[in-house]
Amino acid sequence: MAFKELIKAIATELVDRPEDVVVTEIATDNNSLIELRVAKSDIGKVIGKDGRTAQSMRTILAALSAKVGRRAHLDIVD
Amino acid sequence: MSETTENLNPEDDRQAQRALGFVRTLLTHMQLDAEATFAPDDGDGDEDEIRIEIEGPDAGRIIGKRGLVLEAVQYLTSRVAQKKDEPRRHISVDAEGYRARHEDQLAEMAEKLGQRVAQEGKVITFDPMNARDRRVVHMAIKDMPGVRTESNGQGPDRRVQIIPDKNKVVGVTTDDS
Repeated sequence: MAFKELIKAIATELVDRPEDVVVTEIATDNNSLIELRVAKSDIGKVIGKDGRTAQSMRTILAALSAKVGRRAHLDIVD
Repeated sequence: MSETTENLNPEDDRQAQRALGFVRTLLTHMQLDAEATFAPDDGDGDEDEIRIEIEGPDAGRIIGKRGLVLEAVQYLTSRVAQKKDEPRRHISVDAEGYRARHEDQLAEMAEKLGQRVAQEGKVITFDPMNARDRRVVHMAIKDMPGVRTESNGQGPDRRVQIIPDKNKVVGVTTDDS
């Protein structure tokens, strides 16, 4: 659940409507698929200009990934 | 002469507090053994810059390969610290002096390349870099005679070039504006 909590902590700070942030984690053997959902009006805030915000979240996930020994994939669902 | 500037005390500065709180949250969730604090003002950089320093046994992990993780932490922190209608602030997040070291090395390399461009008369193009690193190159070349810099390209593909410019003379002000 570490991945999910990390993304949730980041996303709630980025958006205008933190109460609408929903993060789910689907875990298989060595992988986790993290799905991030935010209010429609906040999608741009979690993707960012040229996708840079999303890319930064993925980089940080990868750093945690190395620590916990599982891979994580972040999907922003719109 | 250097009276204590009426700068925002970090304790009363809501943007700075939010930035520091966010970095601390990240460290916790990334399971890193490291502490974040406001960095002492070193004199360079803007007055209203928010400078955060990370130290501790795991500080190396927050830097990542070629500073990539640190870059991501800084970028997200700047997004979090600047909400709508708030002033734009420079946010710098460093770990164990990595960024400062990196900028010194980059400036040194830019100077060497600048001299080569001045001698050989050929344009040198850097790999894409972020705004801060591009600025380091511009500043390093600013006072060098015979060469100038330019940034070209869009977004993540923006690159600095060092260009030979025989008309650039340093020390003599030809331009009286």
